[in-house]
Amino acid sequence: MKKIASLFFIIALSGCEYELSPWETDPHCPGVSVEENLARLTAFEASIGKVDSYRVAIIGDPQQYPGAFEDTIEYINTLPNVHFTLVVGDLAETGVKAEFEWMCKAMSKSNIPMIPVIGNHDSISFGQDIWLDVFGPFDFAFTYQNTRFVAYNDNQYEFGVPPDRDWLHAQAQPNEGEADFEHIIGVSHVPPWDDNEGFDASLSASGYELTVHGHESSFDFWERSDVGLPHYITTQNRDPGFGMLTIYAGADVPLQVDNCTRECTTTTPRVVDITTPDPQ
Amino acid sequence: MKVHFIYILLIISLALPRWANAAYVDLQSGSLMGMIHATVGDSFFDNHHFSGGMGYVPKLDNHAEMTLFSLRYRYQNPYRFNFNIKGKDLQLSPINFGTSLLYGKHSDLFLELPEQYPSGYYKPTALRIIFNYQSILHISENTEVYFDISVLEVGLITYVREPEFFMDNYDYLGLEGITNWGFGVRRHF
Repeated sequence: MKKIASLFFIIALSGCEYELSPWETDPHCPGVSVEENLARLTAFEASIGKVDSYRVAIIGDPQQYPGAFEDTIEYINTLPNVHFTLVVGDLAETGVKAEFEWMCKAMSKSNIPMIPVIGNHDSISFGQDIWLDVFGPFDFAFTYQNTRFVAYNDNQYEFGVPPDRDWLHAQAQPNEGEADFEHIIGVSHVPPWDDNEGFDASLSASGYELTVHGHESSFDFWERSDVGLPHYITTQNRDPGFGMLTIYAGADVPLQVDNCTRECTTTTPRVVDITTPDPQ
Repeated sequence: MKVHFIYILLIISLALPRWANAAYVDLQSGSLMGMIHATVGDSFFDNHHFSGGMGYVPKLDNHAEMTLFSLRYRYQNPYRFNFNIKGKDLQLSPINFGTSLLYGKHSDLFLELPEQYPSGYYKPTALRIIFNYQSILHISENTEVYFDISVLEVGLITYVREPEFFMDNYDYLGLEGITNWGFGVRRHF
């Protein structure tokens, strides 16, 4: 009996965690930080040099479905010429440790770097603390193949402030003596807010060519008629669905965006008249 | 502050049961219920136990300081397994399941949606439902110790939705990915 009881306790203890509450803030998430993934991407770029074209997968809102997220990641692993994945927020639904751990487990299956930005659901409970600890900064920028990617936090309900336009402008400027970027792409969870007046025009004036987002749980692609800056929104991942951005060398070649389930279909922005209600 | 809080919790857990004419007092650690969680409760219809309690988590590297409140239900099957260790007769109750409604009191959590959000934007972040299993060892007529395994509601839902994900990535049929453990002692009056 003692042996059976001991075995039961050993199995139980090794199979579970001693957690003080649902609101712990230390998920086990090795290798998923922005810093580590950007280092992988930089090393990859150095190994291949300048390419004629490459693709970037865009996954949004995988919350509550880590299995579907894992399936999508493993499917993207099989696709040619995809150099990295942008995860446009909402890995968690309620912002608790366990949800982040499941998503980290799925992300560990990726053969290519995954660059995450924070979503509104990631920001509740103690999600902001977890995000900083696991993934890193809410706002960051990086350059790949001379295209600038600027990830910014526009979860305004949760953080109380709109994105910093000066910071967004500064990130879109090349360092002194460096060549201009071929493309500048904004990345955030929530598409531009209706009440953030002049935000589109500000991004466009700073040289942004496209922004990509999640949050709305369905594919969309639109631009305001008065600004012409296209905003691509990918669907929630469990559809299953993801976006695919194709970038060609040269500033004059337009960006291509596809809606993907298992097959991909190229999409173009619909023009939203500025007199109509905000599409979000 | 932390020592005082735990001391008060212990005093309450000893005094309240007699005042409330409760059947038992329970002190638990871990399994999502706090560093220490004291509940007082009673039995109804023999096998059904209801209790209310209060817990505490001090400020730690992995946790903000937090007070917890709970309402708990446990079904305790009357079956007991008898055995003997070094001449001492013991009984094990192996079939006990329960659920708890847990409220975490902290400024980062809310019961009522803060005013900046549209109506229905989020469910309350301060309330969680926990399901648990207990294996209870009766060490005397009035005292029992138990081992507790719990699952948070979001864990149960996600496991039911996508069992393959957990089975592929975690041990013990994937339950390793959703379960937590704790232990406790219960004193009957």
